[in-house]
Amino acid sequence: MEIHVLIVDDSPAMRAFIRRVMDLSGLEVGRCLEAGNGEEALHLLENNWVDVVLTDINMPQMDGEELVRRMAQHEVLRLIPVLVVSTDRTESRMQRMLDLGARRYVTKPFAPETLREELESSLGVAHGSR
Amino acid sequence: MGADEIQAAMDAAAAEVLETMCFADVLASAAGPAPADGAAGVPAVTAELHFEGDPPGWFRAGAPARLARALAAGFLGLEEPEVSDLQAGEVVCELANMICGSLLSHIPSETVFRIGHPELVMTVRWGEGASHRWFDLGEGILSVSVELERRA
Repeated sequence: MEIHVLIVDDSPAMRAFIRRVMDLSGLEVGRCLEAGNGEEALHLLENNWVDVVLTDINMPQMDGEELVRRMAQHEVLRLIPVLVVSTDRTESRMQRMLDLGARRYVTKPFAPETLREELESSLGVAHGSR
Repeated sequence: MGADEIQAAMDAAAAEVLETMCFADVLASAAGPAPADGAAGVPAVTAELHFEGDPPGWFRAGAPARLARALAAGFLGLEEPEVSDLQAGEVVCELANMICGSLLSHIPSETVFRIGHPELVMTVRWGEGASHRWFDLGEGILSVSVELERRA
C-alpha cells in the first residue's frame, strides 16, 4: 500500500533529505508533496489527501505550531497524523506540540532509521512489515 | 556556562550533526578560528543565524566551497558534480540550524530558545566574546562560532 506524504519545512535541503530517507526506508511512498510553511501546507491539504504530515516548527508566515493547531481544529484534517521534525529539544516545546495534536516528535539531527521508525509508528505500520 | 563548556558543547553538537546527517567524520577539532591553510581553511560559504532566549545570541558556520559541496553531496545523496552552488548554500544553512539547535540544548536555561532563519552572509561581524571552533573533515575545515549576548 502506498502512503502519501506532505513535508513542511522552509529548508529545501531538509525537505530533500527527508524525501531521500523515506525513499530508502522501505516504505512505499506514493505522492510526496512539499510546502515551505504552514500556510502553503494548508492550501495543499485543501485539495490533496495525505496519510501523514511531517513538519518543522520554526518557519516564516505560519509556523508548525499554528499548522498543528489548525489541523487539530479541522473536522477532516485532524485525522491525519502529524510528525514534528525540529531542532528544538526542549521538553516544554515537545510536550506543547504533542498537546496540540502532533502524533510524534523527532529532533534534528536524526538517524534515517529513527525517522523511519517514527513514521511507521505514526502510521500504525508494524516495523519491517513492508 | 564557561568557555570550556561552550567548546565541549560545540564539539559534541557539530560531531553529532556531521556524522548523522552528512556521514562525515571529524578528523580533528580545536578551539579558535580556522587555521589559515590555503583554500581548505577559508570559509567561502557562511551561514549565520540569530537565536532568542536566555541568553540570546548569534551562531555562524562556514566552509570552503569544496567542503560545502562535499557536505551537500552527503546530505542530499548526490555526487559532488551534481551539487549546485544553491544546494551547497542551503545545506550549510541547514547544518548551521541543526548544530545551533544541538548546541543550545546543552546550555542551561529556563527559557525556550527560538532559532531564527539561517542566511548566507558575505561579511563577518563578531564581538570579542564569540567562541570559535574548527573541525577538520578531510576535504576542508568547517568553522563554527557562537556569541552569547550579555544579559542586560
